[in-house]
Amino acid sequence: MSSSKVTSDLLRGNTDTMILRLLAEADRYGYEIVKLIAERSQGEYELKEATMYSSVRRLEADGDITWYWGDETQGGRRKYFRITEKGKATYTRNKTNWEYAKRVLDTLL
Amino acid sequence: MNDKINEYVDGVFAAYEGTKSVSELKADLLADLQERYRDLRAEGKDEATAFEMTVDSIGDIEETVQEVSSLSRVLERQVVTRFDSSALEGTDFAGVSARGGKFGTSALRGSNFSNADLTGSKFKSSDLTDTNFDGANLTDAVLTTAELKNSTFRRARLVRTDFSTSGLDGVVFADSALVDVKFRTTELRRTIFERCTFTGVDFSISDLRGLNFDGASFTGVKFDRAGLEGVSMRGATLRDCSFRGWSRKYYKALRTVNFEGARMDKLTFAALKGFGVEPANVIVE
Repeated sequence: MSSSKVTSDLLRGNTDTMILRLLAEADRYGYEIVKLIAERSQGEYELKEATMYSSVRRLEADGDITWYWGDETQGGRRKYFRITEKGKATYTRNKTNWEYAKRVLDTLL
Repeated sequence: MNDKINEYVDGVFAAYEGTKSVSELKADLLADLQERYRDLRAEGKDEATAFEMTVDSIGDIEETVQEVSSLSRVLERQVVTRFDSSALEGTDFAGVSARGGKFGTSALRGSNFSNADLTGSKFKSSDLTDTNFDGANLTDAVLTTAELKNSTFRRARLVRTDFSTSGLDGVVFADSALVDVKFRTTELRRTIFERCTFTGVDFSISDLRGLNFDGASFTGVKFDRAGLEGVSMRGATLRDCSFRGWSRKYYKALRTVNFEGARMDKLTFAALKGFGVEPANVIVE
């Protein structure tokens, strides 16, 4: 992870959207989410389990995602998270907001 | 090695067991950690390194657990209150003897228990908002997961009374000697303690931030993993008190406690010093 606190706060602040993005592609379980985030950022951003579950809980409370039990045998049952229609709309909105903020910041920084 | 991961997670969750959402979070986390550990071992990491990296991937789980557990506790309290909402509100129990009384999951809002003998009584998960317990004997009474908002306990006899995981907003404890009373996992930021002494009291994992304990006397009191930021203990007396935590946040908060003019025994002083807290202007006896 980057050593700059500002950078990591900026990344952490977008955790909800990162998770929504991953779930927009497929239903996933907890470890899969943190693993994919580490892989796709080439290790630049390591999402902690605590931060992920805190975010998942928030998304669930807001109705952006739901969950169901998977039926794997290895390591017991897994909770799979699925994005809702509302979650898809939230993702699109957050992504648009980010594109906008990025454009504005590029002209200012 | 799975045992070691299990053990570690058990330790983190020990204080919060009992609510469904917390057990679920724990199970989810364990499954994730076991899979990560297997992955790391498969990549060729040795056992110790893999364990270290697995534990490190958890992050600040305490905060998440607290969020989850306090949310479900509020829900539990509301559900209970709704069940018996008409039962015994505003009832006058002043001076009664109700040793071993069972008042669990009852709606007792605004009741008067002043000077009642409630030794060994159970008030588990009850709504006790605005209840008067002044002068009551609450030896061995159980008031866990109860809502006690704005209740008063002036001159109450509090021996082995259990208030763990209850709502204590605006509750007044005054002129009481609290002996072996339990306040585990409670939110005490808006609780008032006036002229009380504390012996064997357990404040573990409770939120005491900003509380004023100036001049109070503490013997054998546990402040383990409690939120202590900005607590004032000026002129307080501390003997055999325990301040244990395992997060940096805990020790950082401990350094903000005001021990000005406090008297403490060598053990308590050494314990604080061992954690990098060097209280100034204290009398070590």
